Amino acid sequence: MKPFIEFCHVDRKYRMGENDFFALKDVNLEIYEGEMIVILGPSGAGKSTLLNLLGGMDSPTSGSILFNGHDISRFKDDELTAYRAWNVGVVFQFYNLIPTLTAYENVALMKDVRKNVKRGSVWEAENKDMSLLDPKEALISVGLSEHINQFPSQMSGGEQQRTSIARALAKNPRLLLCDEPTGALDTKTGREVLKLLQDMSREKKHTVVMVTHNSFFADIADRVIRVKNGTIESVEINDSPKDASEVSW
Amino acid sequence: MLFRKMRRDLLVSKVQFLSIFLMSLLGIFVFTGLDSECSGMRVNEGRFYEETALADLWAQGIAFRESDIGKAEFIPNIEKAELRLKLNGKARLRGEELDLSTLFLDGNEISKLYLTEGEPYVKGESGVWLDFSFMKRQGLKTGDKLSMKVNGIIFEQEIKGAVYHPEYVYFLPDAAAMMPDYGAYGAAFMDIKAFPDKRHVYYNQMVLDVKDVDNTDGLSDEEKNQCSKAALEVKYALGSDSVIVTDKDSDLSYQTFRAEIEQHSSMTFIFPAVFLLIAILGIITTMTRMTSRQRVQIGTLKALGFTKKTITRHYASYGFFLSLFGGITGAVAGHFTIAEYILSMMDTTYLVPGMGTAFSAKSYLAIAFSVLTSSLVSFMSCRKELAPAPAETLRPAAPKNLKHSLIEKSRLWERLDFAVQWNLRDILRNKVRSLMGVIGVLGCAMLMFGAFACLDTVSFITTWMYGELNTSQFQIIMKEGCPYSTTEEYAKRYRGQMVEQSPAEFEAYGKKKTGTVTVYDTGNFLHFQDKDLKPLKPDEESISMSYKMAQTLGVSEGDLVRWHLVGDNDWKILRIGGIYRNPVSQGITMTRKVFESLRFDFVPTTIYTNHTPQEKLQDDTNITGTQSLPEMMKALDAMKEMMYVMVYIMIAAAAVLGVVVLYNLGVLSLVEKNREMATLKVLGFTTAKIRRILQSQNIWLTLVGIALGIPCGMWLINVLFSTMPESMDYVASYQLLSYIYTITGTLLLSMGVNRLLSRKVKTVDMVDALKGQE
Ligand SMILES: Nc1ncnc2c1ncn2[C@@H]1O[C@H](COP(=O)(O)OP(=O)(O)OP(=O)(O)O)[C@@H](O)[C@H]1O
Ligand SMILES: [Mg+2]
Repeated sequence: MKPFIEFCHVDRKYRMGENDFFALKDVNLEIYEGEMIVILGPSGAGKSTLLNLLGGMDSPTSGSILFNGHDISRFKDDELTAYRAWNVGVVFQFYNLIPTLTAYENVALMKDVRKNVKRGSVWEAENKDMSLLDPKEALISVGLSEHINQFPSQMSGGEQQRTSIARALAKNPRLLLCDEPTGALDTKTGREVLKLLQDMSREKKHTVVMVTHNSFFADIADRVIRVKNGTIESVEINDSPKDASEVSW
Repeated sequence: MLFRKMRRDLLVSKVQFLSIFLMSLLGIFVFTGLDSECSGMRVNEGRFYEETALADLWAQGIAFRESDIGKAEFIPNIEKAELRLKLNGKARLRGEELDLSTLFLDGNEISKLYLTEGEPYVKGESGVWLDFSFMKRQGLKTGDKLSMKVNGIIFEQEIKGAVYHPEYVYFLPDAAAMMPDYGAYGAAFMDIKAFPDKRHVYYNQMVLDVKDVDNTDGLSDEEKNQCSKAALEVKYALGSDSVIVTDKDSDLSYQTFRAEIEQHSSMTFIFPAVFLLIAILGIITTMTRMTSRQRVQIGTLKALGFTKKTITRHYASYGFFLSLFGGITGAVAGHFTIAEYILSMMDTTYLVPGMGTAFSAKSYLAIAFSVLTSSLVSFMSCRKELAPAPAETLRPAAPKNLKHSLIEKSRLWERLDFAVQWNLRDILRNKVRSLMGVIGVLGCAMLMFGAFACLDTVSFITTWMYGELNTSQFQIIMKEGCPYSTTEEYAKRYRGQMVEQSPAEFEAYGKKKTGTVTVYDTGNFLHFQDKDLKPLKPDEESISMSYKMAQTLGVSEGDLVRWHLVGDNDWKILRIGGIYRNPVSQGITMTRKVFESLRFDFVPTTIYTNHTPQEKLQDDTNITGTQSLPEMMKALDAMKEMMYVMVYIMIAAAAVLGVVVLYNLGVLSLVEKNREMATLKVLGFTTAKIRRILQSQNIWLTLVGIALGIPCGMWLINVLFSTMPESMDYVASYQLLSYIYTITGTLLLSMGVNRLLSRKVKTVDMVDALKGQE
């Protein structure tokens, strides 16, 4: 099977005064469509950096990243924008909701996203049956039917996190990226969120990449990638991933 | 959704955005206010002159014949010509004789009557048409009989209507009057058939319409050229040396009104420029702060797939909408307040029918300019946050330069008080914000000082004119044609000083200007001062020129100037022997001896004296009237009133400017310092102590702003006075009190704003401010 996403010798370095600091170094990686992937690693390992590269929010300093055959590492700024608009849903580590918009409006913002990218791009053809979800349905699916008219500052951390997930889901993206999606949630809601993400990959065949430093989550993934000091330490295939409702931590 | 975000963002930081709104409002308010008034005058001037076909040339002579019309119209450049008789007469009302300029017409094709009431003029018919304000003020109605006197003959005519006349937009009863007081004297228009001395009908004026010269927007160089060519031809055709041909620029009515319009139009720029500048500075700080605070939001929007274009458009629209609404509101408000008010004052000085304000294209341009710059500034400030990849923008911004400045490294630093250290560091770290604060205070102090200096100058000019340059208590104005012996007798009786003031034309290096020749006999009432206002001894030998006249002609002491008296075609050449200064009359001055040595007859127009003139002097046929010092000063009132309006606008504007900028910046710095202040609180500083620290910083900046603002105020006043009409030479004056008012006023304003702000210090929530991520 042809990989959906492919990293070839990817470096991401930062200049720190005189020296170069490698946040990622010579990363090679393959991800297949519909997979549920968990990235594990200690703080500062480069997990978020990896996720940013996957989501077209950052470009590698060398190496190439192929998405469905397109080399996104060579993309210019507006091509990356179109890539993000059509293919990627992100759940940020710190939610990143627009504070002056209500939960509903934050999710409905995604309608504007598709509207403002150029029509007729390659992605439009590839995403023909990826129509947007109704914002309300997306919110209900994360269990937020009651808070949809509240501003982020009026919601708890978990509710904000779920709004952020609903926002990513509303795009109905082929690639869903989550940075510590359960960090601020209690076990019960955390489990519900995991279930949601798992369903995305199992039922809708969307690719889900989740960053965490909680190794219990490894059990629900199809594959687990361990990152350390900017390199990939190991890739494990999980033959029989657990159901999200079964994990506990 | 983004539009909703904008609306809510605006609400969240309403004070800052309100200030952007107010600043663009204020800038456009003042601009449109002044511009609408000025365009109103311009438009109405053009319309009125066009409709009434104001004459292009006037030929003055002793006796024109009807055949002269044919001669004039034979000139290819001349479209039309008309004859008339213009005399100074009297209206006899309630036993009084009021000055009445009378014009006997022989047609109504050039400089037509503009009828507002009654029946139109028909050539050859009897009756009199009166100027509108005279009719109103004297309580006359159409159908009334009016008794008049011209050339010593008393006669009566029925009033046929009230009119405006394009040559009587501005007119004075006599040469000595300084300000119009319409209705106290008037103008009357009749057909030549109504002239009472039937056996000696004559014409002393011919009005001419020149081809290719229109009546809008003054005379262009091209038109001026046409006129002077035509003038020469007319003079030649009429074949008489005594005929004087003048164009519109030498016409008092036309010229005064035009100069007023020009002056207003140059003022339109200074004020709004100041406001727009500060509005833009306000927008810069507010927008940069806002975009840097929304850095993570910008990164998020970008990460979610919004294009750069959409995001920049979103942020640019903050500035766009605010300045658009501000500008439109300001334009409408300015149009209906400032413009209407100033125009209503102009209405009493210039007789133009239906004078109203006019919204000009310039106002649209000013709004467009303000909207454009605001949007651009907003655009630029978010551009900065958009450049890096979203992964970068999503991280909290790197703290701004934490390097220690030179002062911080110096030895002195350690000895400074903590509050001083903290404030100095804060100012240095936030250079732009501090600079904005200083500029805001500067603008405020500048306008305030300018306003007070305006008042100083007006009161100074009064004492200068009537306390230093002219020390008489009374003036007796002689009638034209009064024999010299009579005048001399009066002068002896009242121990007065005889002075002749006659209109003249000066020429140097091809530049021609009209002005006044002042000739004084022995006496001690007229005094002269040099360029620096030091007293000058009377110059017995040579001719001096006024400072402003010398400047407009571009000449200085020792240069040669050609000149001639109006009504006398004999050009003389003079060498400027000295320069003197006079606020209201520009031209040359000399002693009677010098004047007579040039073979001129000395014909005094005024006697200055300290002896109270007798009541019955008013009835003397040789005397136009007498005026006491308070009456002379009253003539300056109209000018003063205009000044007061300017002063109120300036002071109000200064206050708004100061409050808006200071409050805006104060809130900005409070928000930025929120964390620091919370930390200070946690460390145990009392609210009062923190408040004092903040206040002292504001006072430093305010003092710097004031120190820079006062010189700028002086500059503003000088720019303002340089736009005055050519006949005026105002010397700016600054009294100690103005400095004191400006300094205390600005300081009080700044401290008041501080009080408002320091209430907010109390509300700093330690827990909230110290929480981590936003
Ligand atoms: N803009 C940057 N400039 C310099 N160094 C950076 C930058 N962004 C990330 N790094 C460094 O790259 C390394 C990897 O960062 P990354 O955010 O990917 O870590 P992480 O694995 O997500 O950690 P955490 O679990 O704490 O979120 C870190 O050491 C970080 O300091
Ligand atoms: Mg991370």
